[in-house]
Order: sequence, then C-alpha cells, then structure tokens
Amino acid sequence: MSDAADDEQLPELDLRLTQENLDEFYEHAPCGYCSCLPDGTLIKVNQTLLDLLGYTRNELVAHMALQDLFTIGGRLHYETHCVPLLLLQGQVREISYLLRRKDRTTLPVLMNCALLRDADQQPLVVRVTLFDITERRKYEAELLRAKDHAEQQREQLAKANEQLQRKNEQLTRINADLDSFVYTASHDLRQPIDNMAGLFTELKHSATFHDPAATSMVLMFEEALQQILDTIGGLTAVVQQQRELEQVPNEAVALQPITEEIIRSLPGIDPPATFTLDFSAIPTLQLARPSLHSMLFNLLSNALKYADPSRPAHIRVSTALVDGAPVLSVQDNGRGINLERHGPELFQLFRRFHPEVAGSGMGLYLVNRLVRQAGGRVAVESKVGQGTTFRIFLPR
Amino acid sequence: MDVLKRNNVTVSGEGKQAMVFVHGFGCNQQMWRLVAPVFAADYRVVLLDLVGAGRSNLAAYDPAHYSSLDAHAEDVLQVLGALDLHDVVLVGHSVGAIIAMLAAIEEPTRVAQLVLVAPSPRYLNDVGYTGGFEPVDINDLLEDMGNNYLGWSGAFTPVVMGQPSRSELTTELNTSFCSTDPAIAQHFARVTFLGDNRADLLLVRTPSLILQCAYDVIAPLAVGTYMHRYMPDSELVVLDTSGHCPHLSVPQATIAAIQQFLRSTPTP
Repeated sequence: MSDAADDEQLPELDLRLTQENLDEFYEHAPCGYCSCLPDGTLIKVNQTLLDLLGYTRNELVAHMALQDLFTIGGRLHYETHCVPLLLLQGQVREISYLLRRKDRTTLPVLMNCALLRDADQQPLVVRVTLFDITERRKYEAELLRAKDHAEQQREQLAKANEQLQRKNEQLTRINADLDSFVYTASHDLRQPIDNMAGLFTELKHSATFHDPAATSMVLMFEEALQQILDTIGGLTAVVQQQRELEQVPNEAVALQPITEEIIRSLPGIDPPATFTLDFSAIPTLQLARPSLHSMLFNLLSNALKYADPSRPAHIRVSTALVDGAPVLSVQDNGRGINLERHGPELFQLFRRFHPEVAGSGMGLYLVNRLVRQAGGRVAVESKVGQGTTFRIFLPR
Repeated sequence: MDVLKRNNVTVSGEGKQAMVFVHGFGCNQQMWRLVAPVFAADYRVVLLDLVGAGRSNLAAYDPAHYSSLDAHAEDVLQVLGALDLHDVVLVGHSVGAIIAMLAAIEEPTRVAQLVLVAPSPRYLNDVGYTGGFEPVDINDLLEDMGNNYLGWSGAFTPVVMGQPSRSELTTELNTSFCSTDPAIAQHFARVTFLGDNRADLLLVRTPSLILQCAYDVIAPLAVGTYMHRYMPDSELVVLDTSGHCPHLSVPQATIAAIQQFLRSTPTP
C-alpha cells in the first residue's frame, strides 16, 4: 500500500497533523525526557530538558548521571528511596525534587521513572520524565507554611487548654474544700454553743445576781448568743442549699403563688408594708424551686429589715424582658446602701452595712451565689434615704 | 510487650545457626527479598522492621527514646533474646549495619559474625575524615522529604500494576513498602545522618565483613576503608557496582561475598 493510499484514509483531518513525527515530539515534548543506565549515567536527553537545565547534549550524555542533576538532599533521597523502589518494583512515581541547572539555580520538578530489564531480567535502562512544577511548588510551600503555622497554633492552644483545665480542677477542689470547711466549722461550733445556751439557762434559774446591772448584762449575753446561733444557722443553710441544689432540677416556677407564699411567711412590721407584684411580662421562671425561693426570701426579708422607720415600707416585685432574657426585680423605699463605700463588699460573706439592724451577713452572699449558679448575675441600684433595687438577670 | 510483634519479626528457614537481617534508612525488611531467601536452606532466617519502619508498632516510636541508634540496637538484642538466639550472623544495611555493630559490641555472645552492607559510622565530614556530607546537605534532605510527603498518600498503590514478572509481591506489601510516617521518617533521618559512631569501631570484637560499593554517594569508598582500618577483625570487599543498595542492584555478587566470608570465618 502506498503513502498516498494512507493519506486518502484520513480525509477529515487537517493535513498538517500528519507532519507530527515521533522524534520531533520526543525532542520538544512539553516535559523533560531522559534515559540512563542502571547506575544513573545519562545516555539520552531531549531538547526540552537541555533547555530547562542550560546544558548542551555533549555536557550531559555519558558525562553526567541523573543523580548529579539533583541537589545533594535529592541525591540522598534518590539513593535511599527511589533506587530500592525501582529495583524491587520497576518504577517510581510523583517524586518531587529540585534540579540543579548549569548556572547553579534550581528548578523544582516532579519525576516519574520506569526500569527496563533485559531478557535475563537484568536492569537495562531507566526512563525518566521530569515535569517543571515551579508554580505548583510555590503553592505547596504556602501549604507547608500554613500547615506548620496551624500545627504551632494547635500546640499553643493545647497548652492553654491544659492550663485552664488545671486551674479549673484547682478551683473545683478549693470550692469543695471551702464548702466542707464551712460545714465542719458550723457543725463543730454548734455543739459547744448549744451547751453554752443550756448552761446559761440553768445558771439564770439557779444563780442570784446582786449587781443591778446584771439584768441588762444577762440580756446582752442572750442577744450575743442568739447572734452566734443565727450565724451558724446561716452557714449551715449555705452549705445545705448548695448540696440540695446539686440534686434539684430546673422547672417552670410560677412567680405569683411562690412570692405570695413567702410574703405570708415574713414577720409583720410596724407600720405595715405594702407589696406590689407585677409578673405580667414573665409569669414563670425556669429555675430550681428552692433556689428561687431562697433568692426571693432573702431579698424580701432584707427589704423589710432595712425599711426606713420614718415612712411606710413599699416593696415592688416584678419581672421584665431585657434583650430577650428574663429579669426579676425587687424594689424598696428603705434606708438604701452607700454603694460607693460598700458596693465592692456587698455580696461578701458576713459583711454588714447597717449595724443598728440585726442580721447575719449571709443573705446577699447566698442570693449572689444562687444567681451565679443559675448562670445569671445580680445588679444593685441604691440611694441612701430613698431605697434600693435588686435586679436578677437570668440567662435566656 | 511482645518484641516480636513490635519489630514485625518473621522467621523462616532451617539451620543450627540463625541469620538476622537489619534494614537501613528509608525502607523495611522487604529490602532483603533478593538475598535472604537464598540463605534459608542453611540458616534460620530472621527478618525484622526497625521500630518506626514498615509494619513495626509505630505507636512505640518515642522520639526521645529513639534519639540515638543504641535504642534500635537494644531492640535487636531484645528480638534475639526473645528467640533465644546466640552466635548469629547479623547482617545490616546502611544505618542498619551500624545498629548491628552496636548490638554486637553490647552483647558479643549473641553475634558470631557481622556483615555490614554499605555502612558508614558518620555521614558528615570532619577534620581528617570524609563522610561525604555537610550539615546543610542533611537539611536539604529533610526538606526534600517534607516536599515529597505532600504527594505520598496516593503514590504507592498503583505501583504494582503492569509488573507481571514481580507478581509474587502482594499488594499489601507494596502499599506499605518504604512508606513511613513522615514525622518518624524525618526524625530517623536526623538520628541516622547526624550521628557519629566512629569511636565504636574500635570496640568491635566480632569478625566482620564490610561490603562496600565501588561508587556509592551515601557511603563513599573512603568510608569503607576507614572502617576497615579501625575495626580489628574486619575484611573489606568492594563490589564493582554503583549506588547504595548492592543487595538490590547486584544481589548475586552480594550473596557470593557473604557466603565466601561465612566459609572463611569459623562457625561456633
């Protein structure tokens, strides 16, 4: 069959395509080709690779080995990694190296190799293709940098987290220690104080006092005794409430009935106090019932205790929605607190601001603690001589 | 801890004496495929993967513990202990040869003969010593390793395709062949290429064969002659081949040299 007949079988193709010849394609392929002996000696190199490296054919063929084109790191990698793979498996793929040009600059490439064997299965020749990956390498370097950076951040974060965890465990331990200390202290104090109270009652019956001042001293002693008993009672309540709360689940508690019930249980004062309840904005709160009871009881009994004797007490209990979260307010027209002086200590245990009124210094401490436990916070507004408003901000 | 599992130990062959093979940097026990089976007729052949390589227990690779080659030598001795082996022929390649040498120094009764394939006690050049490399070259290698791990995940599975003459290799072996955890490989590269075991050469009392390739970039001829000079009972054989892996490139010559050496040294 003649060439002309061959051509006639391709009528649809552009005739220029038939000029594509394999030698031409090998020399100017869009990637570097070379072949070498099993020891790496170069025996054939295409023009593309010569152009990439800046060498002439005579400088490379028979004079240099494939390994000589790599950086020394690449050479180490080639000998320890690629050669074993080539000899055992016949090929390696997608190995990333830097080639050293004649002018000593480097060129990042991706290399595939295949080993050909002769009829006796002895290694004969290695065929190599090399792709210029300059742009890709830049991108990979970015990736590596980002990866290293992320790794560093992860380590820092893990360290910070570990510290936080340790601190947290420490705090939990201290908190538990404190609770058990308060419990033990109140328990251990109670016994001798009860004994003292009993002994004193006996003493009053059996002893006769000749000093006229004795009667008022006995009264003062009894008052002091009562104060100690109240304090111990308060301490016990704090710890007990804490322990109970750990078991009581949150529930929807209707505010109107629970507030009315608390008001009924409070001692009467003279002149009598008036209460205004307005729970129209939020009629129920999602809280542990004993917790809410204790908050309201302490705030309301404070409002009565610190009422201004010169005018009838008026107390307003209400709810509102602020930024989508419930707020419970207790407002009175009592003596007020000097917040500039006492603000920072307001919620501390055993802090008293009205020495003329009896109290244990437990109430506000307890309220604050319960509110924080529920995930909320307490705010106070007060003017001396005008009254005080407590606002309990609860979570949504 | 099961040391045989830890080092992925495989035992085959028959014989009074055992022949134990320790692979080098960048690979695993598969490296001995063209050499070890020949000896199975006369020896109990023991292959192992160093911890961190091949199918060893990678979780056991604690970089602090494996910060020197002594830890690997200790592992080899534990394997010999677990198999109750004495007077073995201990064969090591490259860094594995140094590990084998350290094991022989530590417990001489366990090792009757040492075969060191392409060994080097120090890769870095020093005053009066040509190791072949400068520190910057080793950093270069570590960087090249880093660059290659980007593409490594998928680079190994298709390798077996179209290799009928090598079909005895199972896919499983190929997928694990020479692919290691990048962090471990880089750490092992540091330990291997930055170490210095020249002082240990003088302590070797075991009859040793140094198998040197004539043209080896990793362990040049000068290194082989240096070792031979400082090892009291050593024999140097230069194989006329290039590269760092004569047991792969010229397995027949490698086998012949080892057999010659074993015949010439008295078996205990």
